[in-house]
Amino acid sequence: MESSDLALQGLMLFLLLFLMGQANVYTRAGEKRWSGEGTNPHLESIFLGRCNEYISVVNPELSKKNCSAIWEAFESVVHKDPCSVLPSDYDLFINLSRHSIPRDKSLFWENNYNLVTAYADNTRRLIPVTDMLYGRVGDLINWCRQENGSGFDYHSCPTVEDCENNAVDSFWKRASSQYAHDSSGVIHVMLNGSEPSGAYPVEGFFADYEIPNFQKDKVTQFEIWVMHEIGGPYLPVKLLKCLDYTAHADCIFNLAAESTQQRFPSLFGGKWDPSLLFFLFLALASEIQL
Amino acid sequence: MVRESSPCRSQKCRCLLLGLTVILIFGAVAVFAAVIFAGRRDPPAVLLQWKGRGSTDNLKEIMLGRCFTYTEMVNPELRKDCLKIWETFKNAFISKNPCNITEQDYQPLMELAAHPILCNKTLLWSKTNELAHKYTKVQGNFLTLEDTLLGYMADGLTWCGNPSSSEMNYQSCPHWRECANNPSSVYWKMASRAFAEAACGVVHVMLNGSISQPFGNSSIFGSVEVHHLNPKKVHLMKIWVMHNIGGQPSDSCSGSSIKELKSIIEGRNIAFSCEDDHRAVQLIQCVGNPEEPACRVCRT
Repeated sequence: MESSDLALQGLMLFLLLFLMGQANVYTRAGEKRWSGEGTNPHLESIFLGRCNEYISVVNPELSKKNCSAIWEAFESVVHKDPCSVLPSDYDLFINLSRHSIPRDKSLFWENNYNLVTAYADNTRRLIPVTDMLYGRVGDLINWCRQENGSGFDYHSCPTVEDCENNAVDSFWKRASSQYAHDSSGVIHVMLNGSEPSGAYPVEGFFADYEIPNFQKDKVTQFEIWVMHEIGGPYLPVKLLKCLDYTAHADCIFNLAAESTQQRFPSLFGGKWDPSLLFFLFLALASEIQL
Repeated sequence: MVRESSPCRSQKCRCLLLGLTVILIFGAVAVFAAVIFAGRRDPPAVLLQWKGRGSTDNLKEIMLGRCFTYTEMVNPELRKDCLKIWETFKNAFISKNPCNITEQDYQPLMELAAHPILCNKTLLWSKTNELAHKYTKVQGNFLTLEDTLLGYMADGLTWCGNPSSSEMNYQSCPHWRECANNPSSVYWKMASRAFAEAACGVVHVMLNGSISQPFGNSSIFGSVEVHHLNPKKVHLMKIWVMHNIGGQPSDSCSGSSIKELKSIIEGRNIAFSCEDDHRAVQLIQCVGNPEEPACRVCRT
């Protein structure tokens, strides 16, 4: 009797421990703490590579900038609790990486990242915030501190749904404010006219952090470009559509019809898909510009 | 003080003293010489001077960052050891005379960093650097060499070493006119060869119809890539001869230069087709020249 009792107790204890262990594993592997993607692996190397490339190759006038110090300033922000990071925490980072924007070269935007990047052409045509040193180092990457630890959390990071004062959103608020503050001359703005909620997001980075920071005595004019998706009613849309359907009757240009071009799936995944809006810009810009 | 022993002792003393002094002097000389010669064993390396630009500043940080970006974000299915790739790259040219770089020097790197490419995606180019890359960046369906790991890491950068020195030469590097076997030229030659060998299916080529010879065997395309396409894998080469928008066409698909290319390709059992001013690429040119007649849409 006793031994069977003991055996039963032992078995129950074992089951209990097993279930606890399983729950623990499930929590770590199945459920993520936050709703956003985790910190990029090798974040420091990517950050330093971009910074050094920007000051050595893209804009050698900035060769005196100290990328290690810029990284230190950036990284120190991430020591804070992942939901307590404020835009002002990035002040030192901005102070070290800030540089002037050539007059008439600023490009603001909402909801059309790919088109903006393609059109800007790595600072050759215009300079959106992601083509400034402080924007370039943070472009398309994610970072945050662990909730209960001092290192980066590679598993998940808070988005605005989890908490407002997260590392990445505060970064862009701070960078956007600085970018708007330092802009001068003609201010270009590219908006997405096919966005269901409206081309101008009443609550967005442009509205909340850029418009309030423009310097009245430095800005001469705003030039707004409203871009549309293919399939809209506008004539310029055809040009864009024609990239994919060059043999279509609507796409006959000056010379003979072009060969049809098949659609290939994206090579490496969603992030680097082409934006066909790019060519729409050609037609629209030629109509709007003086 | 025994008088008898003093002269003896003094003589002994003198001998001893003399001996000690000599030993000391020799010792000092030996130490001195050792210090001098030890210093001389590693003389400061003489920095060779060249006519080209020096190594890019912070080359290591830039290349490492690019490697990680490529393997994590551009092509996440690729698993590569970026630190090892950097070391292997550096060893190819560090401490060597930058006019004597060989293909064997880069072979370990080629093996580490090469990766396969999907069929029908290859875009070769010659004298159309800017246009070809603007096109692939926006279109996304094609890959140039600079969209593969080896090309992505090194694009636009300069590097060279110095004999008997573990440092890169940041002052100057050989221009290709000074010596053909410089670190950059050999790198691009080998990477281009590997890229051509990896191509399969349909290969596209963007050539410049606004120069006198769109195809020539002095270019990497003409001297390396054309000859390393594998006819067992590549069955068709499609040429796009692009002209400057609004400029005078110098050559075209019907010109002699392209005919020469055609005969080489068909001689290798690869089918050949040619198109002047492929429209999709021309649209890219139109972004910079929207007023040009060729860029206007026929209004229906």
